[in-house]
Amino acid sequence: MERSRLGVVTDGAFNTGLTVRLDADRSTEDLRVGEFVVIEGKSNRYFSMISDMQLRVSDPRLLSSPPDDAPPLVAHALAGTSTYATVEVKPMLMLDLTSDLDELRGPQSVRTIPMHFAALYEASEMDFATVFGKEGGTNFAVGTPVTMDIPICLRLDRFVERSNGIFGQSGTGKSFLARLLLSGIVTSRAAANLIFDMHSEYAFDKQTEDGHWVRGLRELLGSQVLVYSLDAEAAARRNVDVTLIIGLNQIEAEDIMLLADELDLTATTAATAGLLGDQYGDDWLRQLLAMSPDELAQFCQSSGAHPEATKALQRKLREVQRRGYLTEKASFSLIDEMVTALGKGRSAILEFGRHDSPLDYMLVANIVTRRVRRLYQQKMERFEETKAEADRPLQLMITLEEAHKFLNPTVARQTIFGTIAREMRKYNVTLMVIDQRPSGIDPEVMSQLGTRITGLLTEERDIDAVLTGVSGRSFLRGSLASLDTRQQLLLMGHAVPMPITVRTRSYDKEFYQDIQRGGRAQELPDVVATDIWAE
Amino acid sequence: MKLSLLDKALQQMTELALAKDRTQWLVRARQLLHDADPDRLRGKLLDRTVRVPWLVAIPLSTMDGVFEAPDCPKNFTVVAADGSSIPPDRHSPARYYVINTGHAILTYGDQPDAALDSSAQLHFQSEDLYLDPLTGSFPVEGARLSAKMVVAELKALWEATERGEEPVVALSDGSLILWGLQNEHARVQQQLLGEFLRYLERFRGAGIPVASYISYPGARDVINSLRVWLCQGEAIDCGNCSASEVMDFCRALVGILDRQLFGFLRAGERSAVFESTSAILDQYGADRIQFFYMEVGGEVVRIEAPQWVMRNSEMLGLVQAVVYDQCRRSAIQPPYPPALQEAHEQAAISSTERQLVEGLVERALAREGIVYTRSAKDRSKRRRAV
Amino acid sequence: MRIGEIIESTSTHFVAEGFELNHPPALGSFVRVCVGEGCDLYGVVCYGETGSLDPGRRAVRRSTEESFDDQIYRESPQLEHVLRTEFTSLAVGVIERGEVLQCLPSQPPPLHFSVHGCSADETTLFTENLHYFRILLRASGLVPVEQLLAANIRQVHRGRGEDKDWLQRAAREAANLLKYDYDRLMTLLYAIEPTS
Repeated sequence: MERSRLGVVTDGAFNTGLTVRLDADRSTEDLRVGEFVVIEGKSNRYFSMISDMQLRVSDPRLLSSPPDDAPPLVAHALAGTSTYATVEVKPMLMLDLTSDLDELRGPQSVRTIPMHFAALYEASEMDFATVFGKEGGTNFAVGTPVTMDIPICLRLDRFVERSNGIFGQSGTGKSFLARLLLSGIVTSRAAANLIFDMHSEYAFDKQTEDGHWVRGLRELLGSQVLVYSLDAEAAARRNVDVTLIIGLNQIEAEDIMLLADELDLTATTAATAGLLGDQYGDDWLRQLLAMSPDELAQFCQSSGAHPEATKALQRKLREVQRRGYLTEKASFSLIDEMVTALGKGRSAILEFGRHDSPLDYMLVANIVTRRVRRLYQQKMERFEETKAEADRPLQLMITLEEAHKFLNPTVARQTIFGTIAREMRKYNVTLMVIDQRPSGIDPEVMSQLGTRITGLLTEERDIDAVLTGVSGRSFLRGSLASLDTRQQLLLMGHAVPMPITVRTRSYDKEFYQDIQRGGRAQELPDVVATDIWAE
Repeated sequence: MKLSLLDKALQQMTELALAKDRTQWLVRARQLLHDADPDRLRGKLLDRTVRVPWLVAIPLSTMDGVFEAPDCPKNFTVVAADGSSIPPDRHSPARYYVINTGHAILTYGDQPDAALDSSAQLHFQSEDLYLDPLTGSFPVEGARLSAKMVVAELKALWEATERGEEPVVALSDGSLILWGLQNEHARVQQQLLGEFLRYLERFRGAGIPVASYISYPGARDVINSLRVWLCQGEAIDCGNCSASEVMDFCRALVGILDRQLFGFLRAGERSAVFESTSAILDQYGADRIQFFYMEVGGEVVRIEAPQWVMRNSEMLGLVQAVVYDQCRRSAIQPPYPPALQEAHEQAAISSTERQLVEGLVERALAREGIVYTRSAKDRSKRRRAV
Repeated sequence: MRIGEIIESTSTHFVAEGFELNHPPALGSFVRVCVGEGCDLYGVVCYGETGSLDPGRRAVRRSTEESFDDQIYRESPQLEHVLRTEFTSLAVGVIERGEVLQCLPSQPPPLHFSVHGCSADETTLFTENLHYFRILLRASGLVPVEQLLAANIRQVHRGRGEDKDWLQRAAREAANLLKYDYDRLMTLLYAIEPTS
């Protein structure tokens, strides 16, 4: 196989990576931090990443009197000898070339490093295929290497297995990527999806900022995707399957605590909801809203609740009561039906329509999710009893935009989303969190995200947050900072064998055709992921 | 040596050399050279009744004659030879001597060329070591060795000359008058001089001018002739000199050398030709040696040549022209003919080479079981232990 | 072509008396000594000197207004014989039956053997590999090593018919070997930069 040679290993350590001296005819400008490269050892092939580059001179005198206007021969002679570049390379996976077993198993995690003068090569298509597999089945092409036109695949089955995250500052294409991934997941039946579509942009065709139309998932995937809406008016105009109604009885004290910020509640006030819940159960909110001042005082007296706080709570929640999607009392049947559909592998998008304030979004998402998870928990428990494969609940992935609202350190412990993230795949429910400010998310939650896909981040703390719990953060930091503002993403974690920078696949006609043709059912040898997460 | 002890004497010596009155005497001597009647002087010098205790120069023409050097031919060859020797070592168990001759053949003109070579000979047979090998008398050493070397030089000169393109001039270094043999036994003279003269004869036969070049000559032949001219006495008897009016001048002349006398010559010019009165020359026959002085561009030298060269104006002119040309080609000052210099370089035996020869002999002897024992004095000279 | 005879021979270098006065082989050029059947020892000329044959004699000024330069040699033909031109060559390798070895030879070349100039083909064959640069850079002669190497590169470049690729390769190799001595390196590189 013809690979283009870059240099030779001259130094290094297992822990810190290898130093490679670039060949004289190689320029650092041809390389990028984060690039996928290959080191050919004597008996192993090391699939690696460039983590850093350095310019060096052999004689410090050159620095004090650099040759200006050097004639061509002089310049040519100096390059690569007196002046040269080194790149830091981190082996991520290795393939034992001497063992037939590894041929079948594919690349394994790195257990050693190559000796001096092992050659570093640009990765070939074959190398990408060896590591990232070929497109087909649950191997979903999310993009191509930055410098090559071959697919880089994400293992969707692994992707949905654990919670994951898509990050990047705005404009880096998070929602397009989410659309891509959701299409892939739906088509490959890797999981059912529940998508909280705060800005009503996933279901139907939508005009982008630069003026052209992109297809909605409903239009692309048809009846595999159900559309729910909170907004009855909008639902009437659009091809919505179900208009969702939430009953006051479905709002729990926990929801109020989540909304503390939005409702401008003090901690004491929010805690009062708990007391009401204790006393009245499901009916607490209706009871509270119906209380006269006397009844309220009486309640406070009997329960020990703070009267002013309770009054404030009542006042605030009366505002909430006026929301169009709220009714006095509602059954969970609509949500339960949705879960049934999800259980059959269909996906659901919940549009918020006019009700796209954070308060609506958070309140509804929390209520719906709590119910969904409760049902999944029951399904799981039943499966554990029967051990019948037919009872095994289908994997569900919940897509959550503005994730920091649910998962910030203050509320993450109380919301259902925090619970899902922490308990991981226990009940076959995982999250796909989408956010532009990963630093706003509770580090404990971050550390549970199995796969992270990130576009450019410029804030230090956001970068730190995305790399929470990642081993080799320092070199990934370099790759992350070197991403283009658009269409470039760093993939790392559970669903990719090793971190890789990709140019995102376009969400365009070609993609639609691919999706409508259905995933090509070409299965490939299982690829073992690098364990880049610190234990 | 304590050089400081010489300081004072050196100073006095310098003063003497610079004595002003010497210049005055020199002027008078040159006047005398002009005034003296050559014919009458020759008569006086050849008069057997007048005993002359010194070597004198017999004038053949006007004594103060001056002759410019003619032009050199366009193409010509200068041949020169020189020699050096390793004398017999009386400390050595083996008796031998080495004579090394060197020659230079320099061709000038349209096709300049040079050939430099040397030839060494180890003499160890008794007929080489003793001029009378039967009795072992007249060992070859000292003056005899010198004479032997001059013969070898002349032989080398002749052999080299044979290879030169005509016109050719053969030059040797030092005198052609083997006066050192004067006091030797007739047998010695006969042997050594005989061979010498045979080579001169060959030159004569071939018509090739041969001459010798004496740099910095210490001769007083012409001065002595002037003193004879000056002397009024019938017999030259300085011990009883009464000629008080010329005595001072005569004594002053003693301090003047011929080369100083001829200091008036200009570059390239030669003096008149004189005949030497060395007794040994009586045996030279047709090859009797004559001489002249010549200013070569930095010093006055003495050129000697057989009479047949001096009498042939063409040869004489060629010798003068070539000597002057040689001196102009010299890279040193005062000049020295390059041909002679190269011949000398070829002939010279360095101290390393001397030791080398010694070692070779020593080893050859040791091979035959003869152990080389040195005298104690010799050893002390070599080791110079402190 | 025979150009001289070895008069001093050591493991690292050999001195030859040149056959042509005042014209030693060019500094940095290749010479060879045939030391056996099919075996040639290669050297790089690292020093040339013309002087008196006899160490005791020094050359003196000979020119005049009318006579100078070549004229001096015409007027003093003995000079050709009393002066001599010597050149020193660094032993840099051996070609034995077509196989090039760039290292010091196992034996110094025999004294009095002939030194030959190298043909373009011989130079080309020997200089395919550039390991001999290291030997040149270790030389301890009067000529600074970077000048010696520069001279060699220029000679070989010319000998190889202005082979640009070779020149670049040589420049890089030199740069690699002198990477810790920038000043010398630049001296060398500027010295081998083609003028055209």
